[in-house]
Amino acid sequence: MKQFESLTGKQLSRRQLMTGSALLGGGLLAAGLTGCGGAAQAAAVQDIGFWHLLSGGDGIKMQAMINAANQANPGFKVHPTVLAWGPPYYTKLAMASAGGRPPEVAIMHASRVPGYAPGGLIEPWDLDLLAENGVTASDFAPRIWEKSQYNGKVFSIALDSHPFVMFYNTDIAGKAGVLAANGQLQEVSSPDEFKAMALEMQKVTKAHGLSFGYLGSGSQMWRLFYTLYKQHGVDMELTPGQPMKVEREAAIESLEFMASLFDDTIAAQAGDISTGIAEFARGGSGMLFSGVWELPTMKNAGIPVDAATIPTLYGTPASYADSHSFVLPRQLKLNEDKRRDVYKFVTDVLKGSLSWAEAGHIPGYQPVVQSQAYRELTPQIHYANAADIIAYDPESWFSGSGSDWQTYFAENVQNVLLGRDKAAAGWDAFEQRTNTILSRPNPV
Amino acid sequence: MSTSTLSRPRPENLRKPTSRTRSNLSGWGFATPFLVFFLVFLVWPILYGFYMSLTGKSLTGANDNLIGFANYAEALADADMWRSLGNTLYFTVISTVPLVLVALVMAALLNIGLPAQWLWRLSYFAPYLLASTVVSLFFTWMYNPQLGLINEFLTGLGLPRVAWLNDPNVAMWAIVIATLWWTVGFNFLLYLAAMQNIPAQHYEAASLDGAGAWRQFFSITLPQLTPTTVMIVLLQILASLKIFDQVYQMTAGGPGGSTRPVVQYIFETGFTGYRLGYSAAISYIFFGLIVVISVMQFVITRRRSA
Repeated sequence: MKQFESLTGKQLSRRQLMTGSALLGGGLLAAGLTGCGGAAQAAAVQDIGFWHLLSGGDGIKMQAMINAANQANPGFKVHPTVLAWGPPYYTKLAMASAGGRPPEVAIMHASRVPGYAPGGLIEPWDLDLLAENGVTASDFAPRIWEKSQYNGKVFSIALDSHPFVMFYNTDIAGKAGVLAANGQLQEVSSPDEFKAMALEMQKVTKAHGLSFGYLGSGSQMWRLFYTLYKQHGVDMELTPGQPMKVEREAAIESLEFMASLFDDTIAAQAGDISTGIAEFARGGSGMLFSGVWELPTMKNAGIPVDAATIPTLYGTPASYADSHSFVLPRQLKLNEDKRRDVYKFVTDVLKGSLSWAEAGHIPGYQPVVQSQAYRELTPQIHYANAADIIAYDPESWFSGSGSDWQTYFAENVQNVLLGRDKAAAGWDAFEQRTNTILSRPNPV
Repeated sequence: MSTSTLSRPRPENLRKPTSRTRSNLSGWGFATPFLVFFLVFLVWPILYGFYMSLTGKSLTGANDNLIGFANYAEALADADMWRSLGNTLYFTVISTVPLVLVALVMAALLNIGLPAQWLWRLSYFAPYLLASTVVSLFFTWMYNPQLGLINEFLTGLGLPRVAWLNDPNVAMWAIVIATLWWTVGFNFLLYLAAMQNIPAQHYEAASLDGAGAWRQFFSITLPQLTPTTVMIVLLQILASLKIFDQVYQMTAGGPGGSTRPVVQYIFETGFTGYRLGYSAAISYIFFGLIVVISVMQFVITRRRSA
């Protein structure tokens, strides 16, 4: 009000004031619009939108890699948007792509690609453009490269693979006498041997031998279950219109083994993920089944920690994993310059992913994995072999990390793990639930 | 509303038609901004949503064609739809009863003349002003099985720990308790206002006739509150049927789907499951149910007031 008075030198009527504000508002709007257009026309710095779901310790590493890429490339500036992990992220990404206002590049779990690629929510990568930036198929481990394809086209570029592994406390393991001569955990090859080893550690901790929190988390239950299931040397297939193909006996045996661990001696009967992590971090157990991304937490906890892939208990080495991968959400109007910058950004991040390995993940880009610097990272190097035995979720539009399907798994299996339900009953209910989804129309 | 228009004198009839048309026009003029929003954001989505429920529309744009009532047939045979609908109804029943009764008790206690009335009113009503996210966070912490305030208190009394949000038998009650704390203040305020409107001479006459405090409460206060009670129950049922926020934030529908309300199921099928057409069909089934409940209430209240 005061400003207007001094401008006109007299008291304003209400009508004049409103007209004035409308003009001012319109002027600002116009200025804003031309401002946007002006920046794009000048093409001084391209703004690249980048969505990801990394909010933990690895989120800090990601920010550092983005900063490094921004500094090395004055031509563009990547603006990250961090969204909550799981369904909220994937819902928003799908909505943004469907609505035509997605970011230029995004992180997606490789296991979720089959839910996005067929409907055209993401676009394939141009291999020639990747090669121009110095990245080719031979830079990735075979299993990971294979996973990046859908119907013969490359839809995702793997930043990493992040398997489900076993952390162990070398101090407790040493006192329990379960360390091998090389200082690493002794090898066990059957469920009974594993339980015997856990019981030895329990005698040292007086609490539990193993930590594994799962309550309320379908993803967590699924990670261990699928590791054990794949160790049977069997497959699982989800084809819409058909019942799921699964080895029922192997599934039930895996569930029964899991349930037998939660006896309050080997492991706590009930606890959520963070309870399990906290127990291991304060020395309340000798081992922890967890994703590699918890490594920074364990290092900060100040316990003597080493890691290995989950012991092969059923004959075939296997390790549940997924990959954080770069995808290109479908653009309503493709800006070729921005697309080029995205290729530059992604390849730069891949080449600088040694710092990503510090967060626990196994880099997807092989030159980094083969570098001397990576070989010197412990305990990362002790589970680097996981990249050769990783098992991704069975492919379908509804499976994958943080999917509703994993929630359905928890709904049917949690009571089995809590000892309230028979493994066969829990599995059959889950299988039936899955078959219901498979029998419905495929929305992608 | 209708009575006031009827009893109003009608000078309009005496005016010339032109001025009446003009006042009609300016009436429409004033209503236009609202009407535009009403049409664009309510009427159109309702119609379009119904159309969508007759198609196989998905978020990715696949199967856009009309498929008649196939979605409805599928939904009526969908066990998860029925289960989540059952959860919503269960929540509505077990939350509406305490939300009405506790509000009544709180208002009655305050109305007998406690000192520092404003403080009680404020502390009963203040939680209602919080966002659902804040309430959910509070209670998620308090319900934490290991570190939570409530289990700390229970173990202090020598009682066993309760896995509040992780036990399928307890989780819904835990959400009801949180909801009760959060929203009871609104009903309380309505009751308190109604109680303070009951004429004092009713109580005077009753006490002259020798009626005690309980007698007065049941024979004067409660009957006088009937219209308010009907309104509160009505509002509460509608509010409880909409349950989504607290559940989504506290249990995400778990454990084992035991708290997933139908609104969350609609959200999951439509947005994380891509099937917009199918989720529109479920929401129309839910809509139908709400209409049935509202009509039932309407009939009951009309019979009572007649």
